[in-house]
Amino acid sequence: MQNRLIVSSSPHLRSDEAINVIMRDVVIALLPATLAGIYFFGMGAVTVILSAVIAAVATEAAIQKIRNQPISVNDWSAVVTGLLLAFNIPATAPWWMPAVGSIFAIAIVKHAFGGLGHNFMNPALAARAMLLASWPVQMTNWVKPGPDAVSTATPLALIGGMEASEQSLPSLFNLFIGNVGGCIGETSAVLLILGGIYLVYRGVITPRIPVVYVGTVAILTFVLGGFKFDYMIYQLLAGGLMLGAIYMATDYSSSPVTPKGQIIFALGCGIFTSIIRLYGGYPEGVSYSILLMNVAAPLIDKYSRPRVFGEVK
Amino acid sequence: MSLGRTFMKGILHENPTFIQVLGMCPTLAVTTSAVNGVGMGLATTAVLLGSNVVISLLRKFIPSKIRIPAFIVVIATFVTVVGLLMKAFVPALDKALGLFIPLIVVNCIILARAEAFASKNSIVQSSVDGIGMGLGFTLSLALLGAVRELLGAGSIFGVNLLGASFQPALIMILPPGAFLALGLLLALYNWASSKKANQY
Amino acid sequence: MREIIKLGLILLIITTVAAAVLGYTNAVTKAPIENQIMQANVLARQSVLPDAVEFDALPADVFEGYDNVLEVYKGMKNGSPVGYTIKANSSGYGGPIEVMIGIGLDGIVHGVSVGNHTETPGLGAKAADESFKGQYSGKTVNTELVVIKSGVPKDNEVQSIAGATISSRAVTNSVNLAIRLFNEKLK
Repeated sequence: MQNRLIVSSSPHLRSDEAINVIMRDVVIALLPATLAGIYFFGMGAVTVILSAVIAAVATEAAIQKIRNQPISVNDWSAVVTGLLLAFNIPATAPWWMPAVGSIFAIAIVKHAFGGLGHNFMNPALAARAMLLASWPVQMTNWVKPGPDAVSTATPLALIGGMEASEQSLPSLFNLFIGNVGGCIGETSAVLLILGGIYLVYRGVITPRIPVVYVGTVAILTFVLGGFKFDYMIYQLLAGGLMLGAIYMATDYSSSPVTPKGQIIFALGCGIFTSIIRLYGGYPEGVSYSILLMNVAAPLIDKYSRPRVFGEVK
Repeated sequence: MSLGRTFMKGILHENPTFIQVLGMCPTLAVTTSAVNGVGMGLATTAVLLGSNVVISLLRKFIPSKIRIPAFIVVIATFVTVVGLLMKAFVPALDKALGLFIPLIVVNCIILARAEAFASKNSIVQSSVDGIGMGLGFTLSLALLGAVRELLGAGSIFGVNLLGASFQPALIMILPPGAFLALGLLLALYNWASSKKANQY
Repeated sequence: MREIIKLGLILLIITTVAAAVLGYTNAVTKAPIENQIMQANVLARQSVLPDAVEFDALPADVFEGYDNVLEVYKGMKNGSPVGYTIKANSSGYGGPIEVMIGIGLDGIVHGVSVGNHTETPGLGAKAADESFKGQYSGKTVNTELVVIKSGVPKDNEVQSIAGATISSRAVTNSVNLAIRLFNEKLK
């Protein structure tokens, strides 16, 4: 007779949360930005997104099959990883590049370290760093939005003075809606923020990390940039800050668990991002900052552990 | 132990790179191409052979209390001699291997074999052990170098194998690629050996 | 006490023998090593100033005040000068890049070669490829060279390596420094 009685200890609370529901919510939140990316960058964006997502799902299924584990691709976590990775790649990338990145993200960053919930780094970001180190020219080949693929520099590179400014700086409005050069998913600040609000409403993320992260970058770029308000807004809207702060830094397994820890984590991300952007050799600092703080997350957790009730300090 | 077994031990069952995990620093740093890996491996083999023979010769003469300084002096002398000879007669290889030639002194394999084997076995046994371990090291460096060169530059031993349309993954000839390749090869090697062990 | 003396004596014997072996090897290899270094240097200089056969070093006070210039040699053929080779350093992406520039008496850059560097393979390291450094050959010393990113380079421009602007600029800086030195001191 099938055992229909579930025996468990208290608390006997039921929640609707299941991994696939959470992941589906993330995909829904990312949908506006996805559509914007396709609208601005055309077929190239479609290829990259499909390549990344399909490769991610296929790799996860293959690895789980080889290791004789139940195949769990229907929890949509591979889809999310693939989609986030695609967001970090320019639309001009060759079809195989997102696939290689996805394979690396799923097979090595996620499963070689224990699978879902055990990854110590954000898989999409780690894969992006690996792709950037492997194919630097293709990973930095951005085009302006629109039908003709006119090669361009990103807004951050322009303001960083790294590129010859034959092009003028894009307007703040264009930065806000995403009509600028960059990777597929990072350009449209407004749609990413919209998705973020949806995630907060659904209880998938708390605003703690994104708000502290963006706030830190705001304060630092305002102060260190000469107290210019426009400059600060430019820095907030340009590059991968919104994407990173809302969707990457909040990854459950690679960020701290405790509230105090999350604040420290977000502060660290903000500080590193600002320093790399303003003083470092790269125009964009978001991915490396988050990866560095990912590595520090266990330590942060250890030192921000809340006191157990009755514990002697 | 038979000489044959002593020799094969260095190549397979006690491979310095994949089983003993010794000498990782030169392994990771020098294997940016297959030919560099082989060059380093052969230089190390020369030193290993020389130091094993000398230490085996002197094993009754060196008191146990000062064996470590004595071994180091012998090893360092051999490395310096090999280094000078390379600089004088094969400068291209010397330039490619750079400062990793003097670092052969601290390659744990050499001290480990001196301590674990050469100081306790006959000259013939020690020389065979030195050659075996050295060749095992060379083979694993060649393998790692070939993998990194193939994926990172599209060639093996300078011979372009993958054609012009192959876009090499530059990360493979950089340090992260070294760690990734070594990790995956280690996993592969251990998986293959454990499969073989399970057959009996 | 006796044991310490015995141990010390044995170490002394071992180290003495080692020192003897090293001394002997050093003596045997000293000349070939010096020869190798000299030959490599002559070859490097000839690669940027092909007309010259012998090279004389110029004293350091000739290029005093030009930071980053490491050495200057006068290239001779049949006893008469044909040009100069200048070796300079400048900060690249991953550290200093050694550049050797050969300028003929005719005021034309005959060649540029890139020596020791720690630039990224596949990016800045491409500065050592003929496709990049070959651009400098034939440039005159009349104007300073500028790095451009896209478009067809004019006479005073060189095309940067894709994705390696800092390395390209570093090499160009060294070439410009050599041109300046030539114009001000050596002409």
